Amino acid sequence: MNIAILIKQVPDMERVKFDCERGLVDRSTAGVEINPFDLNALEAGVNIAESKGCESVVLTMGPPRGADSLREGIARGASRGILLSDRAFGGADTKATSKTLAAALKKMGVPEIILVGEKTVDGDTGQVGAEIAEFLGIPHISYIEEILNISENDITVVSNIFDGKFVKKAKFPVLLTVTKDLNVPRLPSFKSKSIARKAEIPTWSLEELSDFIEKEEVGIKGSPTKVRKIVVPKAESRVCKKEKDNIENFLDEMIGDLIEKNVLEG
Amino acid sequence: MINDVKKIVILAEQKKGKIHKVTYELLGKAAELIASFPEGQFEKDVIVLGSDQLNLDEILHHGADKIYHIAANSFDMPDEWLYKENICELLKQIQPEMLLVGATTFGRSLAPRIAAALETGLTADCTELMIDTDGKLIQIRPAFSDNILAHIKTETLPQMATIRYKEFAPAEWTDEVNGEIIKVDAYVKGNELIEILEELEESEFDISDAHIVISAGKGIKSKEDMKMIYELAECLKADVGASRAIVDEGYIDKSHQVGYSGNRVKPSLYIACGVSGAPQHLAGMKESDVIVAINSDASAPIFEVSDYGIVGDVYKVVPMLIERLRSKEI
Amino acid sequence: MYEYRNMDGMLIKELKAIVGEDYVITEHDNVVSYLYDETEPRLRPAANEDCVVVKPRTTEEVSKIMALADKNKQTVVVRGGGTGLCGAAIPTEPSLILSMERFKEIIDLDDKNFIITLEAGVTLGEMNEFLKTKDVLYFPCHPGDESAQMGGLVVENAGGARAVKHGVMRNHIKGVELVLPNGKVMNLGGKLQKNNAGYDLLQLIIGSEGTLGIVTKVMLKLYPESKFTGTLLVSFDSYDQATEAATKTLQSGIIPLSIEYLDRQIALRSAEHLGEKWPLQKGNVDLMFILSEDSEDALFDVGGMIEEICEVVGAVESLIADSSKDQARILNIRSNTYTASKSSILDSMDITVPPAQMPALMHGFSSIAEKYHASIDTVGHIGDGNVHNNIYLVDGEIPPYYEEMKEELYKLAIQLGGSITGEHGIGKIRRKNLPLQFDEIQINLMRGVKELFDPNNILNPRTAIY
Repeated sequence: MNIAILIKQVPDMERVKFDCERGLVDRSTAGVEINPFDLNALEAGVNIAESKGCESVVLTMGPPRGADSLREGIARGASRGILLSDRAFGGADTKATSKTLAAALKKMGVPEIILVGEKTVDGDTGQVGAEIAEFLGIPHISYIEEILNISENDITVVSNIFDGKFVKKAKFPVLLTVTKDLNVPRLPSFKSKSIARKAEIPTWSLEELSDFIEKEEVGIKGSPTKVRKIVVPKAESRVCKKEKDNIENFLDEMIGDLIEKNVLEG
Repeated sequence: MINDVKKIVILAEQKKGKIHKVTYELLGKAAELIASFPEGQFEKDVIVLGSDQLNLDEILHHGADKIYHIAANSFDMPDEWLYKENICELLKQIQPEMLLVGATTFGRSLAPRIAAALETGLTADCTELMIDTDGKLIQIRPAFSDNILAHIKTETLPQMATIRYKEFAPAEWTDEVNGEIIKVDAYVKGNELIEILEELEESEFDISDAHIVISAGKGIKSKEDMKMIYELAECLKADVGASRAIVDEGYIDKSHQVGYSGNRVKPSLYIACGVSGAPQHLAGMKESDVIVAINSDASAPIFEVSDYGIVGDVYKVVPMLIERLRSKEI
Repeated sequence: MYEYRNMDGMLIKELKAIVGEDYVITEHDNVVSYLYDETEPRLRPAANEDCVVVKPRTTEEVSKIMALADKNKQTVVVRGGGTGLCGAAIPTEPSLILSMERFKEIIDLDDKNFIITLEAGVTLGEMNEFLKTKDVLYFPCHPGDESAQMGGLVVENAGGARAVKHGVMRNHIKGVELVLPNGKVMNLGGKLQKNNAGYDLLQLIIGSEGTLGIVTKVMLKLYPESKFTGTLLVSFDSYDQATEAATKTLQSGIIPLSIEYLDRQIALRSAEHLGEKWPLQKGNVDLMFILSEDSEDALFDVGGMIEEICEVVGAVESLIADSSKDQARILNIRSNTYTASKSSILDSMDITVPPAQMPALMHGFSSIAEKYHASIDTVGHIGDGNVHNNIYLVDGEIPPYYEEMKEELYKLAIQLGGSITGEHGIGKIRRKNLPLQFDEIQINLMRGVKELFDPNNILNPRTAIY
């Protein structure tokens, strides 16, 4: 069995600054980290690999410093990492990103289990997993909260979707998007982290993927959606409408407001 | 079937015959978008997948021009692959200009599969849609953990987006119905690769997912008095939260505690009843969309983070609120 | 509705004239939220409920309130975040409770002199949030509960984790604005690096537990944020191995930001309380080293040295967290150990000894606990020689041996050159134990100081001194 875990390096959201005036996102002072949701995918992948005695590979697409997050993935138990990096990959939307990752997975030989986090904290789309599955022509299961069983040919999981929890069984190969409820990511041991810091990370550029993807399909060229404008809304400071005398009236008005704001229904 | 009338297609989600309400909101928005084009240029169609018996009249009353009902019992389960196969087959005939999907969990999982299959772009989780001067859709969505709004356009067809629930007003219900229901037998009925074994019983309580939280604080004097909090919660289909003091008193289980050392919640509505607003509590709820506070101490810190503050006895105000909500049958 | 009985209606009227109608709280139902702090419920004194809460917004209002109280010989108890652990903020006689919760302004960040000036009601959490948005500077002290307010942190001289490298609050307080019990306002300290004029009254205010004056503004020293921090978690089978590893690390010349000690049960309870998972699994006793270095290589070099020391002593597992999120998660679990166990704790002591005496102290704990057949567990700032050993209730009751055992533990600390309280303070719960540590002459000097500042004894009486 082979397992691939797809991760993304994202800015530390607590440190990203937003400029209301100019509509800019300033990541310069923010450190980078593995997308927190991907850590759950990584933990799941490493657990499965450890119990089945197989290999787990972490993949990421991004600039060269993405190698650091792959090293972190190795420190946390992955067997090895592959970096997809090329100037041509830049500016990719979810479609181009998914196609590129799908091409890399094809080049590896599509693994039995592909794990991804449910979404990223920067892009926040949660689309890449399902799109990759479609490009690979394999099934996917989203919002996984629990893995119930893994047998030779299939995996059984609990998916939190469709206003309920569904037990789904999928034949391999399958792509799984996982939630934070699935597990608690481990910390790396000091020793494995010390070793992983020095790990060599192979880089695949467009050239390496050329059997599986056209250059028109990657990066900005392969992206049908274009961001035309970024608006940074001003942080609203709350002003409390306060009443202590005519409470009856106040409640009526408040309920009216809440209905209008569409927040009165669970 | 290609003709001159262009289409906005809405993918409706139904579970056990119940249409998800985001569908009506999308119909409302579609009507608004269509109004920026010359009359007759666009129609708004709905695709629904579900069993043969599905009653779709409600959708007609909300202004759909055509409803395509793809019928098979296997659509009672959320099988993205099966849905995708059928929808894509139908879309070959419809050739829509725009395809809108509610950003429910299933919608978010299904839409990207469809987009990839159609080789088109997809914008996730939109909160606003507009028509640009070139007649194309401007899709507005929050990103970076809701800190920015991106305006996005799609160069391929259909222009596809998932849209958040409760962002738009639903289309008005009209007596008169002009649309028609077109029933189609499912193109593909089974899926070899995925088997959905069962739907599990309701899950354990997790207040951090709540849409509305009614929270009790020290102003509530006994476990018995929590009743009125539960009543208020019932009126609004809300979950009950509590400050640490109330949990420590044993009035309610720890899983309901909101605060720094408890759960952090971000509901669309948070009603704090008799909560004074210690920093430890505020840390767990101040990100809520709308905050209402009821407290007899006019200087209580909770008012600093609230949108609506009622300075009064929680034992009087909560029953008043319950009475009003009941009479409105919300 | 229950109304305040013993306070003159005139006085309340005058208070309302000073701060406004809404900011004088007299209803019993609302006053009760202001009566207790976080002191162990079985140790804390009963609060006197005949109190009125007043919430001033400005120094001028505080000054007027104090002048009024002094004239009327009205007892005043200042209240900050209510996170104290010695009962200092609990009123034991009919009092005016002066809540600083509206002093919320961050007045100035001087990034050239590395000094931040804040009003006394700003919480530790709020300051840290603010500094995070400014990137370059940070405040190293972390006494635990982030809802603690600046004023309280100053007058309680809070300690907490990260003191190994940077010391406690006292080491970072550059100045305060103080309102005396008679209403006079003064400024103590300032931005100077050196100042050698006269007695240092600022140092007297730090740790004075709200008995000498009311702190309204605070000036703190900040430090450039080090880019490379890591938290090394190491577990051992026994407490003496962990103690030895901590002591050996310090003696090797390594100075981490902090070394924390946790009996595993305590860590697990806290993690469960927060809905988190404690990362270590092997062993019974854990050490947490917080490191801060100039480069990633240096971080791992120092980490490697510590790991080697621990391994020689017998460490069974060692993990590293180097992302800010993971580190914050671990620190949060450590910071909530008291809250998580509070309902079953009788007394969470905070004895301190010189760091090198730590092994002797831990052995002493163990043999004293054995003598009384008591269960004591330990968590704390082992790198500072300051640990909290928790004495538990037995079947919900105070065990008969409690007073005797406590005194024995205190005497052990004094014998090792230590203190009966390293950071929680004397407050109202340890006053009678003070003579174990100080003789009559020293205590009389303290009494004299109190009388000079507060001749009418209106400010937090029967607190801190005996």
